Amino acid sequence: MDSLHAIGFYVSAAISVGGGLLVAFLPGRGARGLAVALSGLGIAGLYASLSADFAGLVALVCYAGCALLIAAPRYRSVDSPVGFAWRQAGAVGAAGLFAVLAYAAFRGDFVEATYRGGEIGTAAIGRVLFAHDALTAAALGALVFVALIGATAAWRVRERGR
Amino acid sequence: MSAGLVAVLFVAVALVAVGAFVATWKRDLSSALAGLPLMFGGAGVAFAGAARFSAAGDPKIFGQEVAALLAVATLALVALGVGIAGRGTSR
Repeated sequence: MDSLHAIGFYVSAAISVGGGLLVAFLPGRGARGLAVALSGLGIAGLYASLSADFAGLVALVCYAGCALLIAAPRYRSVDSPVGFAWRQAGAVGAAGLFAVLAYAAFRGDFVEATYRGGEIGTAAIGRVLFAHDALTAAALGALVFVALIGATAAWRVRERGR
Repeated sequence: MSAGLVAVLFVAVALVAVGAFVATWKRDLSSALAGLPLMFGGAGVAFAGAARFSAAGDPKIFGQEVAALLAVATLALVALGVGIAGRGTSR
């Protein structure tokens, strides 16, 4: 990875992780949605610096959608019955997860190789998606279908119950 | 300045951990959904990084494919979660 890509990688990493922390601590839906969008921008930048430009474009669109959904002003708040101590334990568990996985990444023995990619490569990705991993693409399409139908049905049932 | 697979995995792990933190820290379950894109993003970065720096194995584009699939799955799951939460008052 050359210096320009490396700088892009580290800047994008800072934006994505910083945006994630803002999601955790910012109050209000609008601010949280903006933080998700910021984090998505960072993740798209990470993909671009890793020569995964097409994934970066897809992530940019999908994370913008996630940000809009999370910033939507009128979805219902569902308070968790879990107490403060358990939430603290969950936060400590997240830190422990980071420590364990970071240790595994640091101690891992990886073989480096030369990468000759770099282009967006939509045709190659399309071939992989629809020929090599057609079942995966079909499963994801089914997930999107079920999610959209389920979201619409749940929304309508609640509206009718009012 | 350069970045290798270990740096990529560190960032991926940080994203997954921050996402798990958001999911556990937020008292409002609808807000906790915001942790999902971060965790899936971390997984996608790990896949894209492993494909970018891998020594062998075809196709090289596999990591990018999984990253794109994870991004679409994230959007679908957040939409489903927000839809299940339903419409309510702004907070």
